[in-house]
Amino acid sequence: MTITKLKLNLGPQHPSTHGVLRLILELDGEKILSCEPDVGYLHRGMEKMAEQMTYIQYLPTVDRIDYLAGCFYSELLCRIVEQALEVELSDKVRVIRVMLLELNRIASHLLWTGSFLMDLGATSPFFYTFREREMILRYFEKLTGQRMMYNYFVFGGVRKDIDCLDDVQEIIDILPEKIDDYEKIITDNPIFLKRTEGKGILDKETALNYAITGVNLRASGVDLDFRNIDYLYKGFDFRTIVLEEKDSWARYKARIMEMRESCNIIHQALEYLKMTPALEQRLINPLNLKLPAGDYFAQIEAPRGLAGCFVCSDGSDKPYRLKWRTGSYYSVNLLRKLLVGEYLNDAIAIAGSLDFILPEVDK
Amino acid sequence: MNWHEFQRIFNDCELDGDKIVIKSKLHEVIRFVTQNYTYRILEEIIAIDKGNGETELIYHLYSFEDEEDLFISIIVKDKAESIVDIFESAIADENEIYDLFGIQFTGNENLKRLYMPQDWQGFPLRKDYVQDDTRLAWNDDNEA
Amino acid sequence: MNYLYFLYIEFLTKHHIPKLFGDITFYFIPFCIIAAALIIAVLVLVLAERKLLGFFTQRKGPNRVGVWGVLQTVADAFKLLCKENITPTHADRFLFNLAPIILFIPVMTVLGIIPYSSEFTFVNTSTNVILYLILAAFPVLSIFLAGWASNNKYSLLGAMRSISQVLSYELPIAFVILSVAVLSSSLNLTGITLAQFSKWGLAGWFIFPCILGFIIMFICILAELNRCPFDLPEAESELICGYNTEYSGMRFALFYLGEYAMMFANSMFMAILFLGGYLSPFGKYLFNSSFLIYFEQAFWLFLKAGFIIFIMIWIRATLPRLAAFDLLKFSWSVLLPLSIVNLFVAVILKMGGIV
Repeated sequence: MTITKLKLNLGPQHPSTHGVLRLILELDGEKILSCEPDVGYLHRGMEKMAEQMTYIQYLPTVDRIDYLAGCFYSELLCRIVEQALEVELSDKVRVIRVMLLELNRIASHLLWTGSFLMDLGATSPFFYTFREREMILRYFEKLTGQRMMYNYFVFGGVRKDIDCLDDVQEIIDILPEKIDDYEKIITDNPIFLKRTEGKGILDKETALNYAITGVNLRASGVDLDFRNIDYLYKGFDFRTIVLEEKDSWARYKARIMEMRESCNIIHQALEYLKMTPALEQRLINPLNLKLPAGDYFAQIEAPRGLAGCFVCSDGSDKPYRLKWRTGSYYSVNLLRKLLVGEYLNDAIAIAGSLDFILPEVDK
Repeated sequence: MNWHEFQRIFNDCELDGDKIVIKSKLHEVIRFVTQNYTYRILEEIIAIDKGNGETELIYHLYSFEDEEDLFISIIVKDKAESIVDIFESAIADENEIYDLFGIQFTGNENLKRLYMPQDWQGFPLRKDYVQDDTRLAWNDDNEA
Repeated sequence: MNYLYFLYIEFLTKHHIPKLFGDITFYFIPFCIIAAALIIAVLVLVLAERKLLGFFTQRKGPNRVGVWGVLQTVADAFKLLCKENITPTHADRFLFNLAPIILFIPVMTVLGIIPYSSEFTFVNTSTNVILYLILAAFPVLSIFLAGWASNNKYSLLGAMRSISQVLSYELPIAFVILSVAVLSSSLNLTGITLAQFSKWGLAGWFIFPCILGFIIMFICILAELNRCPFDLPEAESELICGYNTEYSGMRFALFYLGEYAMMFANSMFMAILFLGGYLSPFGKYLFNSSFLIYFEQAFWLFLKAGFIIFIMIWIRATLPRLAAFDLLKFSWSVLLPLSIVNLFVAVILKMGGIV
C-alpha cells in the first residue's frame, strides 16, 4: 500500500495563523508528517530603514515591530542611546517605564488568551479578554494619545509626566477578579484540559536548542527571566513563574499567572508614583544625536520572549547596522519540530499556544 | 568563562572589548564553548557588512546559570561554516543572514529567500546594494 | 390535516372548481406553507442566535437594521441572494451545484413529517420515526459531495471529518429512539406524542424515565448538526469554513438555511420524543375553541423546541471545540454503551408497567 501525502498550504491567508504565516504541511490523513514555516509576507525592512534614518527619526517606527507590545521596542532603542551616552535614568522615570511595560505586557497576554481560546474554538473568552484589554488601551490613549503605537519613551526619559493614576488603580483592582473569571470558564473546562494537557510537549533541551525564551521557556521548567537582571526592575519584588508541565496547558497557565504577577509589579509602581513629586528629567537632545563608534547591545524580557537590539555605530548620526532580536521568530522556527506527528487540529492549538505574532517575525 | 584557557587552545584569537574575535575554526570554537562552559542558548547571530565584501558575524551566546553573555566574532567573505548541528535555532538565523547578506553557510540545507521574493536580485543589507529592481519603482513609466 | 383538506375543498366547490383538481393540488399547499415557514423560522433563529451570543459575550448583537435589529437577517439573506455564484476552476461543476440542492430535499421533507398539532401533520405514515432517522442523516451526503467537488483541501478535510462524525453518532441516536419507541409502543410521531399524555401534564413526558437518553440524544444531535463543541467539519480556526469554504451567494445561503432548518427540525424532534411534543405542560389547554387549540399546540411545540435551541446556543458560547480523535472516542466508548443501558432501562420500565 502506498501512502499518498497531502500537501497543505496553511496560510498566509488563514484565520488562525495570527497574521500572515504560511506553513507548508505534509499530511497523512490529518497527521502532520512535516512542517516548513515560510515567513516574510509582512517584511517591512525595519533594519534597512534604520540605516537611513537618524535615531530620533527611527524611534516612532519601532513600536510597529510588535504592535501588541510596542513599548518594549521603544524601550530597547532608548536604552541603546542612553547606554551609549552613559545617561542614568532617575528613579521616577524608571518606575514609570516599568509600569507602562507591565501594563503593555498584560494587554498583550490578554489578547493572547482570547485568541488562543479562539484557536481552540471557544469564541466568548475573546470578548471577555478584549473588554479588559480595552481598559488598558483607554488608559494608554489618555496618557499618550495612541492606543497601540505609543511612542511615549524618548531618549533619556518619557515624553511627559504620568497622570490619570486612578485609572491604573482601577485596572489593577478589577483585573485579578476578571482573571479569576477566565480561570472559571477556561481552566476548569474539561474540553479545554483535554485539548491542552500533554499536547505540544516542549522539553527543556529542545527549547534551549531552538533559542526559545520568555514564557514558553519558563513553562518548560527553565528558570530564566531577564527581568531579574534588568536594571529597570531593580527594587521591584516579583516572582518568576516556572512551571514543569511543558505542554500547551503550562504555557497558558504561565501567562495567566504572569498577568497576576504583572498586576503585583504595577501595584508597587503605583504606590511609588503616588508619593513622588512631579517629574523632572533631563532629556537627551535628539537633534544632531551621534553615538560614539562601537557596538551597543540591549535586551529586555518582552511578552513573546527575549527582545534584543544590537547597534553598530560608526560615530555618525545614523546607525551603521541595527539588528532586532525577537522572540516570535524563534517560536515560528520551532514549529518545524513541534508540529511533526501531531494531528491538524492539535497543531493549530499548539501553534497558538506559542504566542507568536508575525510583524515581530518579519520585522 | 576562562579567557586564558580558551586562548591556550585557540591561539589565533583576541579579545576586543567584550567579544572574542576569531580568525577561523568557527564550528570548533562554538562546539568547544558549548561543551566546556554553560552557554546553552544561541540568542542570535548578528551580521555586519564591513565593506570590501567582508562580513562580520557575531555569535551571541548566553549562559543562564552564570548570567553571562558571550560574543564570538568572525570575519567571513561569502562563505561560512554552519552551526546548525550544534544549535538548531541557527537554521533561522543563518537563513535570515543568507537572505539579507548573501552568505552561504556550508552544511545548512534549508537556505532559501526568506523575506525577499524568491527571484530577488541582490542582498539588501549589504552596503554595496543598489536598489534597481524595476518592480518596486511605481512610477508612470513602469505602469504602462 | 383533514381539517385543512375540507376547508380547501369547500373553498373550491364554492367557486365551482371540480373536486379532482382539489385532490391533486392539495399537496402543494403544505409544501408552500413549509417553505414559507422554514424561511421565516431560519431568519428568526439566526437573529436569535446572534442576539443571544451578543448577550453572552456582553455585546449588543445586531441592532442597526430595523427596530432592535430584527431586519438584520433579512438584509443578510438579501445580500446573499444578490451575490455572485463562484465556481472554482477545477471543481466538479455538476456535483458542486448538486450538493446544496441535495441538502435541501431532506430538510424540507423532515419538516413535513413533524406533527405541529393534533390535526396538522403533512405526511403521516405509521413509521415516520424511521423515515425521520433516514432523512436526518441525509445531509452528510451533501456535505461529502460539497467537500469532494470543491477541489479544496480544506473542504475535503471538513467532509472527511463530517462523515466520520455522523457515522459514529448515528448509532447512539438509533438506540435512544428505540427506547422511546419501546416506552410508547409506537413508531409514529403522533403516537409517541399521545403516549406522553397524562392528567398532570408534564409528569407523563418521556424525559423522566429517559433522562439519560435525552442527554445522549442532545449530544448526538449537536454532533449531527456540526454545532459547537462538535463543529469540527467547519472549524473556522482550523479548516477556514470546512466543506462550504468555496461556496458563495445563493448556494452558500442554501447551506446556511439547511443547517439552521435542520437545527430547528431536530430540536422539534427532540421535543416530540421527550418533552411531550405539542401537549400542554399543564395537562389541559388554555383555549377551548377547537380552532385555537391547534395554534396553542403548535405554540407549545415551538416553545419546547426553542428551549432546546437556547441550550444549544448557550453551549456554543461556552465550550471550546473537541479534538477529532476525542470526539470519535467519546461516541464509541461513552455514548454508545450508555445508550444501550438507557434502552435496557426503558425495557425494564415498560415490562414492569411503570410507564
